[in-house]
Amino acid sequence: MKNLLRELKKQEEKLFNCVQCGFCLPVCPTYSRLGDEADSPRGRIHFMRAVVEGRIEPASETLNRHLDRCLGCRACESVCPSGVEYGRLLEGAREVTAGAVKPNLLTRLLPRVMASPSLLPPAMLLARALRATGFPRLVALRIPDEGFLGQVKLGMGMIAATARPEVLDGGWGRNVIKAETGSEDLVGAGVRVGILKGCVQDGLLGRVNRATARVLEANGYGLVEVGGQGCCGAIHAHTGGLGGARDLALKNIEAFEARELDLVAVNAAGCGAAMKDYSHLLADDSEYKDRAVNLAGRIRDVSELLSHPGILPGGALELSVTYDAPCHLLHAQRIAEEPISLLRSISGLELIPLPGHDECCGGAGIYGITHPELGGRISRDKVLSILETGAQVVATGNPGCMMQIGAGLEAEGANVDVVHPIELLDESYRRGGLYS
Amino acid sequence: MKALPPNLLEELAAAVGPDWVISDPDRLLVYESDAQTAHNVAPQAVVLPSDTDQASQVARVLHRHQIPLVPRGAGTGLSGGALATRGGVVVGTSRMNKILEVDPSNRRAVVQSGVLNTDLSDATAPHGLHYAPDPSSQAACTIGGNVAENSGGPHCLKYGVTSRYITGLRVVLPDGTTVWLGGQGREAPSFDLVGLFVGSEGCFGLATEVEVALTPLPEAVETLLAIFETLEDAGRAVTSIVSAGLLPAALEIVDRNTIKAVEASIFAAGYPTDAGAALVVEFDGVEAGLAEEAEKAEEFCKAAGAREVRRAESAEERLALWKGRKKAFGTMGRLAPDLLVQDATVPRTRLPEVLASIAEIADRYQLQVANVFHAGDGNLHPNIVFDRRDAEETRRVEAASKEIMGVCVDAGGTITGEHGVGADKQKYMHLVFSPGELEVLRRVKGVFDPDGRCNPGKVVPEDEAPSEAGPNERTEAKS
Ligand SMILES: Cc1cc2nc3c(=O)[nH]c(=O)nc-3n(C[C@H](O)[C@H](O)[C@H](O)COP(=O)(O)OP(=O)(O)OC[C@H]3O[C@@H](n4cnc5c(N)ncnc54)[C@H](O)[C@@H]3O)c2cc1C
Ligand code: SF4
Ligand code: SF4
Repeated sequence: MKNLLRELKKQEEKLFNCVQCGFCLPVCPTYSRLGDEADSPRGRIHFMRAVVEGRIEPASETLNRHLDRCLGCRACESVCPSGVEYGRLLEGAREVTAGAVKPNLLTRLLPRVMASPSLLPPAMLLARALRATGFPRLVALRIPDEGFLGQVKLGMGMIAATARPEVLDGGWGRNVIKAETGSEDLVGAGVRVGILKGCVQDGLLGRVNRATARVLEANGYGLVEVGGQGCCGAIHAHTGGLGGARDLALKNIEAFEARELDLVAVNAAGCGAAMKDYSHLLADDSEYKDRAVNLAGRIRDVSELLSHPGILPGGALELSVTYDAPCHLLHAQRIAEEPISLLRSISGLELIPLPGHDECCGGAGIYGITHPELGGRISRDKVLSILETGAQVVATGNPGCMMQIGAGLEAEGANVDVVHPIELLDESYRRGGLYS
Repeated sequence: MKALPPNLLEELAAAVGPDWVISDPDRLLVYESDAQTAHNVAPQAVVLPSDTDQASQVARVLHRHQIPLVPRGAGTGLSGGALATRGGVVVGTSRMNKILEVDPSNRRAVVQSGVLNTDLSDATAPHGLHYAPDPSSQAACTIGGNVAENSGGPHCLKYGVTSRYITGLRVVLPDGTTVWLGGQGREAPSFDLVGLFVGSEGCFGLATEVEVALTPLPEAVETLLAIFETLEDAGRAVTSIVSAGLLPAALEIVDRNTIKAVEASIFAAGYPTDAGAALVVEFDGVEAGLAEEAEKAEEFCKAAGAREVRRAESAEERLALWKGRKKAFGTMGRLAPDLLVQDATVPRTRLPEVLASIAEIADRYQLQVANVFHAGDGNLHPNIVFDRRDAEETRRVEAASKEIMGVCVDAGGTITGEHGVGADKQKYMHLVFSPGELEVLRRVKGVFDPDGRCNPGKVVPEDEAPSEAGPNERTEAKS
C-alpha cells in the first residue's frame, strides 16, 4: 500500500491547497443531482486527504464508490480560487484505489484494447461494419432504458451516432486548393503540423480527421503525416492506469519527435488535455521528461490553432447550430472562446446559445455504461436542453461527447445532427468552392 | 455522547427514503467540517429531507429519541456552526433547493432554504430584481445559512444585511412542530420573531422556507479601484469618503498579502503586487449624479495618497475589479495550507490603530496575516495563514488570534461581524457579554429548544467557565 500511496502523497501539497470554501459544490454535476457532499469535489478531496492521513483505507468501498462516481469533468477546477489541481489529484487517487480494489471488467478491458495496435483496428472494423447494417440505430431507438438492455442501448446509440450526419453532404474532391488571396498572410505558411489521429476518432470518426486535414491545409499549414502514433493514454490515466498512460506517452513522443513538427493539431479535447499534460505525467522520468515538456508545448486544439491570426472564410452555411463545450476543452484546457469564434466565422450559420453548455454531457469515457442511472440523468438533461434550443445541429469537439450526446439524441428519435465544429467549417469551405 | 438507538436509522429512512440517510462512518467524514478547517467532528448520521414535511418528520423522530439535530446548508460557514460537536444528526438542506414563488409586483419571493444565494438573484433578474445581501460566498452558500448567520456582504454597507430582507420563515422546531414566523410581507402584530430567528445560527430550529424582499437592480453602477502604498492610506481614504457624506454601496479593502494570493490565482484581477492595499469603491442607484459621486471619491483617494485610481468602463471591467475581492478568501490556499478566517468589527474611526496592533501581533508571533475587509462598516477579516500539521505554529495562531480579538473588543468592537459565533467563538463570548446577558441568551434559546438539542454546543457557552479549546481539536464523534 505504501507504494500506491506515494502517488497521492506526492500531491499532498496540492491536497492541502483546498481551503474547503465550497465554491466548487454548485458546479459539480454529481453533487447538484445527489446532494450528498460525499459526491462533491470538496468531499472527494476530503476523502483523498483522509487517505493520506491514514484515516480511511484505500480499499474502502465508500471511498471507491464516490471517487468512481466522479465524471472527471474538472468543472470544479475552473471555479476553484485556490488553484486545486483536481484532475491530477483524481488520477493519483484512482491509481491508489485501482491498486486496492479490482476495477470492473469494462474498465479493465477498454484501455487494453485502445492501447493495443493488434486489437484496436479489428475492434473498430467490427464497429464500423455493425454501424453500416443500421442495426445500432434501430436498437438505440427501440429497446428499453433499464438494466443491462439500457447499457446495450447506450453502446449501440454511441456507435450509431458516429454515422455521417445528413447536413454534411460529402462529395469531396481530392485536392485542396489554397485560397487565391490572403493565404500568405496566415501563419499557416511554412508551419509544419502533424495531426493526432486518436483511437476512437480514427476508428469511427475518421471523417473528422479528414476534415481537420483539409481545413488546416486550406489555411496554409504544412501537414506532415506522423506514423507510429497511437492512443494518447487519457482513458488509462483516468481509470487509474498511470503506468499504461506513460507507455503510450513515450510512444507518441517518439513518433511526433521524429517528424520535427512545429505544432501538433488535436481535434479530440480529451486527447489534447492528456497530451498537454504529458509533462506532468513524465515529470519523474529522467530520460523523457524534457522531451515530454517539449511535445506538450506544441499541442494545440484545432480551434486554438486556427484562432490565430484568423480563419480563412468559406462559403455560406445556412444552419442553426448550438455549441456544447467539452469539459476537457473548457475546464481542462481552459479553451472557451476559440470554438465559438470558429463557428461565428462561418457566414450564414446561426449560433444559438446552449443553456448549461459548460456542464458535462455525462459521457466521461464509459460513465454512461458504468453508472447508467446517474449518467443517464446527466445525459438526459443535456439532450433536453439541446432540443429546447431548436437547433438543427449540435457541435462539440470531442469524440466521447459526440457519441454520448448522439446516443441520447438517437434514443429520443430526435432529428438533430452531432458534428465536430471543424466539420462545419470544412463544409463551408466546400460550399465556397475552396476544394475541388 | 450516546450511541444512536438501533431503530433510529430506519425511522429516519421511513421519513425521507433510505437513499437520503447517511450513516456509514467513512462517508460521514466529509461532514466533519465546514469552511473553517480548524474544527473537525463527524456527525453520527446525515439526513437530507426534500421539503418541510419530511424535515418535520425527521425532527419528530430525533425528538422521540432525544438526539441532537444540527442544521447544515452548504457548509461554507466559517465558525464551525454546522458541525455536530455534541454528536447527533446533521439535517442538510441540499435537496431543498426549489424556488417556490417569485412575485415581482410585490417584490417578494419564497424559496426553500437550500436555494443558493446567487440562484435566487439569477431567477429574479429577468424581473429587474435581485436579492441584495451578497456574501462573497454567494455562489455557494444557501439562503438558510444566510438567515442563520445573518450574513453580510460587500454591498451591505448601503443595503443592509440579511435581517433587513427576511420577511417570513417557515421553521421546523426541534420537536417537529412546523410554524410560520411572519410571512406574506406583512408586519407581524406581535414580537418580531423573524428578527429573533435571523442570526440564531441553527440553535432555534431548521428554517425550511424563507420569504424574502427583493430589491430593484440598480439603474447604474460606478466602480473604482484605488491602489495605495500602505494600508493606512487606504484607511484614510475610507474615512474621508464616509465623512464627506458620500454613500457608496461598497467600500472594500484588501491588503498586500491578499493581493499576492489573488494575483497568483486564476482570478488574478491585475492588482499590482507591490502595492500595500487596494480599495474598491462602488456607487449604485439612479444614473443622475452617480458619476459626480465617483469623481469625488476618486479625489479623496488621490488626496489620501493613492498612486493610481482605475474606473471600470464596462460591466466586464467592473467584474474584473471585483473578482480579486470576492474570491480573496479562497485564493489564500496559495499562501499556506490552512487559513484561520477571522471576523471582528471595530468602530470605523479606530480602524487604523487596530490594523497597526494586528500587524504588531502578527510580527511578534511570526505569523502571516492577510487582511480583507468591509471597510465601510469596520468589519475586518484578519486571516492568519498557517499549516495545521505544525503543532507549534498552530499554537501560535491560537494565541495571536486571541490577542487580536482582545484588541478589537478593547477598541469598542465585537467578536464577529458576519461569520457568527458557532463552535469557534464561544470561548470569546464572555469578552462581550456579562453573565447576566449570557443567561438571557440561554433562556431565549430555551423557548425554541427546551431540551437543548438543537445545534448544541454553539454560540452560548453552556457553563460559566470559558472553554480553552484550541483551533485544532479533533474530536472523533464516531460512537
Ligand atoms: C470564501 C468565503 C467567503 C465568505 N464571505 C462571506 C461574506 O462576505 N459575508 C458573510 O456573512 N459570510 C461569508 N462567508 C461565510 C458563509 O458563507 C456564510 O456564513 C453563509 O451564510 C453560510 O451559509 P451555508 O449555507 O454554507 O451554511 P452552513 O455553513 O452550512 O451553516 C452555517 C450555520 O447555519 C445553520 N443553518 C444552515 N442552514 C440552516 C437552516 N436552513 N435553518 C437553520 N439553520 C441553518 C447551521 O447550523 C450553521 O450554524 C464566507 C465563506 C467563505 C468560505
Ligand atoms: S473550490 Fe477549491 S478550495 Fe474551494 S472547496 Fe473546492 S477545491 Fe477546495
Ligand atoms: S471532476 Fe466534475 S464530477 Fe468530478 S468532482 Fe469535479 S466537478 Fe464533480
